[in-house]
Amino acid sequence: MSASDDIRRWSDELARTPASMVFLPLGEALRTRGQTGVALRVAMRGLERHPYDADAHDLLARIYVDRGETEKALDEWDAAIRCTPGHAGALKGMGFVCFNQGRLVDAERYLAEAAAASPEDDGLALALQRVRDEIASANNASPSANATPEPAPVVASTEPVVEHTSNGSGTPNGNGAQEGVVAFAEGDAQFESSDPRRLFADLIGVADQAALLLDEDGLVLAGEYVVSGGQDVGAEVGAALSGISDEARRAMRHLPLGDWRTIIFETPAATVVMTPAPGDGLALVAAAPEVPSGLVRRALESVSQRAKRWMERLS
Amino acid sequence: MSNSSPFIPSLEHLTRQRGVLGSLIVSETDGIVIDAVVQPTVKAPVVAALAASLYRRARQSAHAAGLGGVKYLELVADGGRLCMAGRDDLVVVLVTDTRVGVGLLRVELLRTAAELPE
Repeated sequence: MSASDDIRRWSDELARTPASMVFLPLGEALRTRGQTGVALRVAMRGLERHPYDADAHDLLARIYVDRGETEKALDEWDAAIRCTPGHAGALKGMGFVCFNQGRLVDAERYLAEAAAASPEDDGLALALQRVRDEIASANNASPSANATPEPAPVVASTEPVVEHTSNGSGTPNGNGAQEGVVAFAEGDAQFESSDPRRLFADLIGVADQAALLLDEDGLVLAGEYVVSGGQDVGAEVGAALSGISDEARRAMRHLPLGDWRTIIFETPAATVVMTPAPGDGLALVAAAPEVPSGLVRRALESVSQRAKRWMERLS
Repeated sequence: MSNSSPFIPSLEHLTRQRGVLGSLIVSETDGIVIDAVVQPTVKAPVVAALAASLYRRARQSAHAAGLGGVKYLELVADGGRLCMAGRDDLVVVLVTDTRVGVGLLRVELLRTAAELPE
């Protein structure tokens, strides 16, 4: 049975029995399909009838994240935890958001509680380990580590599996790494990295995301793309994907749409978003398909801005 | 382009969405227009050729990168968007201005592509 059939069936059931809990899978299916407006209405109506259902609050929170309304999402997860203390989905979601905001200690606390609530979730355990590695790495690098998170190992995969890179010490890795030493301020946080591969690590999600900065020839300048075996396939992915921007540039010369700003494409293995970078380069973020597309697009904005500043520093 | 084409109702539905300037079904292989419902400002043959080329390149690149086949592609430009979804050799293409509601359109586009004949 297709997702469309399921949605139709659940919609019919909800129409027949408005108090049915079927609004939960229906809302989730709509959210997954990108119909966040409809999903929001379904979730809100469900919550009206089931205001103390933690799963309903969790659903609404995930819809808010998709819509980029992070504060509302946190409110809903908070409500979910008040309804059901230790609700794993809510704790995981809050950990995810805290990580994205650079609040590593808070992220660690939420993810640890979530992992305790669902010990069978291997991905969660790996994500928690990754956050702990980052905290340890940051503590080694600076006494004020919590305020200056060390870039995280980038995680992404053609198979969406959380993975770690091993260079947790933040020490230069490879010839010429000292040349890549950069330090720049972003808001209140000081970012410092000696390894260009980790340039975007603190900007992307807690799991299943990767970011790359490519030059005009499709060569990797910064970032990494680590697959489930631990291998960085950034060079291969970058070389293959950079051709798309050439094609886009060519197309835009003949279409009255102006310059291209972003390309998004979805495959069974990943959602990829890319945008032009200085010097005819390309910045891209890839994420597992289950990562909300709104988050992937927002991650690209952050990656693009950092890439720009980093390139300015280098030039 | 005949009005009797089975694709026309779907294309008309897509083109009626807010911000959509035209919808086309094109052959990915050779970039020709199979069917189109476009506003007069849209040059369907040009859009078809370029969109097919872009989609083909994206599909080949994604495949080379080990990501599998492209099921949806969206190019965002200063003045609008090109949204595409394919099935086998056929690609549904939308040309939009900047007012478009992308979330809903993406769903409609994927639905239309899923209904294309194999």
